[in-house]
Amino acid sequence: MLLAAMLSVAAPASPQFLSFGGYTLVEAREHKVGDGNMAVTPPRPWNRAPRSIFFDLSEVEDWTQNGVYLDGISFVTDLKDKKALIRQYRRDDRQVPVFRSDMTAPEIAAMVESLYRIRGGAVDFRTTSLQPRQFMGYPGFQQDYDHLDGDEVRRRGRVVGAVIGGRLYMAMFDATQMHYFDAGIGDFEAIVRSARLTH
Amino acid sequence: MRRLGFALAACLVLSGCVSTRQFADVEFSPPQGSYKLLVLRPDISVGSVTTGGLVEPRADWTDQARTQVIAALRQQQAGRGGDATIMDKRSGLGGVDAETVAELERLHYAVGSSIVLHRYNGAYLPTKRRQGLDWTLGQDAVDFGRKTGFDYVLFMHAEDSFASDGRVALQILGIAGCFVGFCAPNVGGGGQLAYASLVDLRTGDVVWFNVVQAGSQVAGIKMGDMRTADGAAQLVDRLLGRMKPGRNVRERAGKAK
Amino acid sequence: MSPIDRRSFLHGGLGAVAALYAGSAQARVLPRDMAPLIGPGYRAQDEDEKGLWQLMERVEEEVSGSNLLIRDDRLTTYLGDIIGRVGGPAAKDMRIYLARIPEFNAVMFPTGFAVVFSGLLLRMRNEAQLAGVIAHESAHFLRKHQLRGWRDTRRKTDIFSFLAMGAGVAGGATGVYAGDLVRLAQFGTILSLLRYNRTLEAEADAMGVRLLADAGYDPMSMSETWEQLIGELNLSAKYRGKHRERDFALFSTHPSPESRMADLKLSAAEVRQPGKSYRDFRDRYLAELAGIRPQLLDDQVKLNDPGASQYVVETLARDGWNGFLRFHEGEIWRLRGKKGDEERAAQGYAAAVFYADAPADAWRWHGIMLQKRGRTGEAKAAFTRYLQMAPNAPDAPFVRQMLAS
Repeated sequence: MLLAAMLSVAAPASPQFLSFGGYTLVEAREHKVGDGNMAVTPPRPWNRAPRSIFFDLSEVEDWTQNGVYLDGISFVTDLKDKKALIRQYRRDDRQVPVFRSDMTAPEIAAMVESLYRIRGGAVDFRTTSLQPRQFMGYPGFQQDYDHLDGDEVRRRGRVVGAVIGGRLYMAMFDATQMHYFDAGIGDFEAIVRSARLTH
Repeated sequence: MRRLGFALAACLVLSGCVSTRQFADVEFSPPQGSYKLLVLRPDISVGSVTTGGLVEPRADWTDQARTQVIAALRQQQAGRGGDATIMDKRSGLGGVDAETVAELERLHYAVGSSIVLHRYNGAYLPTKRRQGLDWTLGQDAVDFGRKTGFDYVLFMHAEDSFASDGRVALQILGIAGCFVGFCAPNVGGGGQLAYASLVDLRTGDVVWFNVVQAGSQVAGIKMGDMRTADGAAQLVDRLLGRMKPGRNVRERAGKAK
Repeated sequence: MSPIDRRSFLHGGLGAVAALYAGSAQARVLPRDMAPLIGPGYRAQDEDEKGLWQLMERVEEEVSGSNLLIRDDRLTTYLGDIIGRVGGPAAKDMRIYLARIPEFNAVMFPTGFAVVFSGLLLRMRNEAQLAGVIAHESAHFLRKHQLRGWRDTRRKTDIFSFLAMGAGVAGGATGVYAGDLVRLAQFGTILSLLRYNRTLEAEADAMGVRLLADAGYDPMSMSETWEQLIGELNLSAKYRGKHRERDFALFSTHPSPESRMADLKLSAAEVRQPGKSYRDFRDRYLAELAGIRPQLLDDQVKLNDPGASQYVVETLARDGWNGFLRFHEGEIWRLRGKKGDEERAAQGYAAAVFYADAPADAWRWHGIMLQKRGRTGEAKAAFTRYLQMAPNAPDAPFVRQMLAS
């Protein structure tokens, strides 16, 4: 599920949710994503989700191929120490843990799990693999996971990421286990391989 | 099957007349000749709208409407050469177990919600521009067709209510609610709301999708009452009777002339 | 829904609406006045009730086929046995489903089926407490509360339905989990109408206590459940640096959990009969829950509601600390991640691995904390132990790399 989709589930009702639209075309060439410190090249066109200034962070960007309930790629770029993956209130009972510059991959994987459980409506979440993997030339990790969400749909995801200079960079792919994960993982892998730092 | 909240809410805005809006795969040809159609757990309900604006379910009306709509559907499909099987439960289908049926329904729910969100509710996806209806249930649907012997599966929902007055403010709140995991019931002043989604089991693709909305309180427009044979036939005709072929098929037909 | 839905307490959308017609403070409903309104084999009678039943039969079909249910025959049978004891005249007619939703809640539907959320099983200390919640829900059915609530709502004006709708929207936004069950059934408004006003809740409390005592359970367990809920809400608020009371300011006419707890205590004393023994069936409860408890606690702790989780861990630890509870204590601090929390987490993991029953995960996290503090040798020993215990763990490749570096 896209981060944007999670937010629309968890956020209070307000008029901006009435206006959809605003998806923009991502052509099959190199694009800067997130706050602009990372660039990726998709093998075919994708759709960039509209941003809501109330809930989204500039460090996070969401793409989808078939719609937010079916598949999505989220990019996290340059996330700083003590920042969370989503916007939340300091007094919320349930909070997605904040990122820390000295986090190890298991800690980041646990943070991703909390994101799905707290904001994505996952009732079951299982990391199926956590292994070392280079990302943009830096030592990082790959996390694979399966989750069952409140809409009864089983989804599968993969995160490839690294902490570079104390900042977190990740590409996340999430899609339904039936059809859409297999249909999109090839694009995702190509995007991960194409990723590079721009500074 | 479960109804798609987005579809219901979006169409309420249009209430006051009959509106149907269909989308088809660019290569879609309406089923013809001898084909086997499975109608999976059709969801048909009728209620009365109370003065407070709540839809109160009516067991007797629902039973009548269900009987009439299913009869009308069988007749309409037979007219095209189709052999329609109506399944009320997930179990009892030869070749597949209930959980397989459930998984297909759940995926369709996500796909149907996507179609409504990205086709009807204005969140258009640029990559799908001019692509017709471009969604699929994938290989699982193909396997399902192979195991059960059906050519198509149809998901449908129809609801009707008989009402007092419409309340715009309620409708707007009802729509907002849908985006936060809560869908208001049909809060219009009564009327029909139906959708149908046709999946081609040879490809797994959702080849055709239609939403019908009919408001009942506008003077001069007589709505069908799906508790009656005529009303049910009218609903089925609006929902399924006017299937248009996909764009490529129409264009080829145009050139051939 | 149930009186003990902590989400609805915290956010109060529907509470505010209920208060509109609930009136002000009133006298306690007496258990002896609570006669069942239905007998065995009850079926819908009036037109509106038949419509409601037909709709709810479809809801039950959806619920019973949902993959959000915990499919555990032993547990399901156990829950069924409990409702069979406290269900009064309808005991044989009621059905119960266990949903994997980490919330402190249970719902009774008008046709006599109940959904118990897994978060409830985690929090109950004994069978009597669980039976108390189930008895309360049974009372809603036996007193026809769903129908009475629905008729009450139907009488309301357009203004009311406007408010109800707004509250429903707020309710949908409050908890992802409860909201999802609503979406699953797709009958959101009908479900929201199953939240009862104060009078009906007081009736269910009074009758629940009576059903509980009649079945030989300690009737005082219901007020204990409330005590735990209040304690959990307070600690949850405290860990986020706020006061629970703030959440009640919006609808101060709504009864406080404290007043309900007090009423339940009085009622429990009333229904006890001299000479009769009342039990809590604690051992049986622990034995039945043993297999699923690790998963239930894991689901709770990962929600990163540190105060609530800590309260739950401490409640369970009243029967003695073990490696499993110490491990989760470490997890709570690690996830909260405030200043000093990592040190607390490290201490939690270090304490956990002293116990023979520490889960493999405790060794992995113990190793990570040691490594981050530069205690490489000890970290490697911990990782080695982890890999011995869980050689095929999903993150074994990563831990092997940490071991090698």
